[in-house]
Amino acid sequence: MSQTEEKRVWVSGTPRLWRYYAIAARQCAGCHSPIVERIICEVVSEMGIEGNVICVTGIGCSALANFLFDFDSLKVAHGRPVDVATGVKRALHGRPVVFTLQGDGDCVGIGGGALIAAASRAERITVIMANNAIYGQTAGQMAPTTLLNQVTTTSPLGRDPEIQGYPIHAAELIASIKGTSYSVRTAVNNPTNYQHTKKCLQVAFQKQMDNVGFGFVEILEACPTLWRMSPMESLQWLENEMMAEFPLGEFKNVDKI
Amino acid sequence: MGEKLLVEGNDAVGYGAVEAGCDCYFGYPITPQNEIIEWFSRELPKRGGVVLQAQSETGAINMVQGAAATGARVIITTSGPGWSLMQEGMSNIATAQVPCVVVSVQRGGPGTGGMRQVQMDYNTTVKGGGHGDYKNIVLAPSSVQETYELVQLAFHLADKYRIAVVVLSDALIGQMMESLELKKLDFGPLPSKDDWVVTGKAYHKDGVKHMSLIVQGVPDSPYPTWLSFVKHLNDKFEEIEKNEVRYEAVALEDADLVIIAFGYVARISKGAIKTLRAQGLKVGLIRPITLWPFPKEVIRKVGERGVDFLVAEDNIGQMIDDVRATLYGHGQKEIHLLSILDRSGTADGALIVPRRIVEECQRILEGGKQ
Amino acid sequence: MAKGEVIINEQLCRGCGYCAHFCSRGAIEIPGDKVSSQGYSLPIFAHPEKCNGCGVCGWLCPSFSLEVYRIKE
Repeated sequence: MSQTEEKRVWVSGTPRLWRYYAIAARQCAGCHSPIVERIICEVVSEMGIEGNVICVTGIGCSALANFLFDFDSLKVAHGRPVDVATGVKRALHGRPVVFTLQGDGDCVGIGGGALIAAASRAERITVIMANNAIYGQTAGQMAPTTLLNQVTTTSPLGRDPEIQGYPIHAAELIASIKGTSYSVRTAVNNPTNYQHTKKCLQVAFQKQMDNVGFGFVEILEACPTLWRMSPMESLQWLENEMMAEFPLGEFKNVDKI
Repeated sequence: MGEKLLVEGNDAVGYGAVEAGCDCYFGYPITPQNEIIEWFSRELPKRGGVVLQAQSETGAINMVQGAAATGARVIITTSGPGWSLMQEGMSNIATAQVPCVVVSVQRGGPGTGGMRQVQMDYNTTVKGGGHGDYKNIVLAPSSVQETYELVQLAFHLADKYRIAVVVLSDALIGQMMESLELKKLDFGPLPSKDDWVVTGKAYHKDGVKHMSLIVQGVPDSPYPTWLSFVKHLNDKFEEIEKNEVRYEAVALEDADLVIIAFGYVARISKGAIKTLRAQGLKVGLIRPITLWPFPKEVIRKVGERGVDFLVAEDNIGQMIDDVRATLYGHGQKEIHLLSILDRSGTADGALIVPRRIVEECQRILEGGKQ
Repeated sequence: MAKGEVIINEQLCRGCGYCAHFCSRGAIEIPGDKVSSQGYSLPIFAHPEKCNGCGVCGWLCPSFSLEVYRIKE
């Protein structure tokens, strides 16, 4: 190894904007959350905005990102990142790139009102919603995006539409709001989708910097531990079940509202 | 001499805020303080400030948290029902230690209550209000001029201690018109915000990332454990209790009976005291200006003289508990209560009138005799 | 063909298997009998000669246990 040291170029693994020590403590095997966080670091680094970006996280698995990113961030209450991001962006007169990183419940459940209001106001922020169809951090309750018949600890017999209704499709919902400039659903379940998600984030951040309107990126993520599956099985379930309910696609992309 | 205007208490909030260099206003309409959000909507953008009507008070208080974390001077105004909605936000602001000013213009409660003045939000403002062990500094004006001045003080204290400061007004003070003399108050130097503001890493003097957190005892938190953070908050509150008590004393030196009242009830009491003194009855008044930190020392000092106290408040008895706790073990005869149930009349806007306070003081001092 | 090198951090690896699954060249394998001190089934860089340093395994590792390098000719 040593004679090739000078001739080696780093390709992938731990991105530059990562605080290494915090990683080892938390990842479930096969969790997609850190993959998304790696993409965010790559995008921030490649777009050269690490000194002018602020991330707002809520409560959930993706909420541990604050301690991993080597750029400014806030951690706020469940469902509140969109409002806090609004305050940050407006108080700084639109100067930094402000994005939120939220789970499905945080974003479209308890945070649903704020999400719709921010999209209507064409708030110049980017909301990243990690959709794993379950509440991960609290160990497996039902989420707004839980699929019909999916077993969770608060739907032990499977989600019953008579009692618990239907999963909500956030990307389509936000795309229907006039103030939205960009609304997309993507995933990170294979290398192609990894690069596609990276492209979606680049587009979303660029639209924010171009002052177009509200940006929304929904990312389907596997959650092997709480789905009670192995990582390989969770990839299958995501591809077969989740993508059938939540089709990938670009639901709105405008350069001017 | 500063410019003199004739304005409502609600408008005085706006004048005070811009005098203090307020950058941002977030809020939501609610009676009886809609004049405030309307004032800011007209006046703050002209001065380069940011105004946004949120989708709810819950939204607005979180916008305040975000804006305050960037180091901006931020204000939010509401009334009782909105104050209730903001409690989660107040608890989070206490942990994130971001400075902000909250003006709560009290109206009848609980629930939708009435539209007119009360003093029913004493407990919820003074005891923290949300979950967890924390306090807000609470300032209680009793006039339009004082509202203007206390709002300026609020911004100063908020920055000095990285704490939320509540200005507890009410529908009466908010909607009455009095003369206001504009003058910028200077309260002295303040610590720098440079080492904690979240504005983008390249814009920090120290060049490293900053985080604003509602949870402590985590990697990179300035407090290594959650308990060390609890201790830090306790130290902060003790420092505030030592240094920031403010009150007004009226005719205390020779008083046999001391009224304790805040806000508009204190003003009504002053009228009663004039009448009583003319009758030769020695009644005085302690008017807490800071409801928290509570003016314990002056109350204890007076209590040790063995005087009676009459707590006059427009609720069913809230501040009286703090008075009792303050005086425990410090010698007093009796602590009487004049409450909302002693108002003259049953209409929404009925008041505790000076005559009622005079009667009560006479009864206490003359031992029940007419 | 470019050559690549994958360094595996056996302390952090959680044995999810994504690296071996997504390697299009079969350079990484999970033998099944190599277990970390945490009890996870570890991958090995079994066929370095097949690796072209594409970086896919590094992209998709959730526990940051892989560092991928391309070796310049």
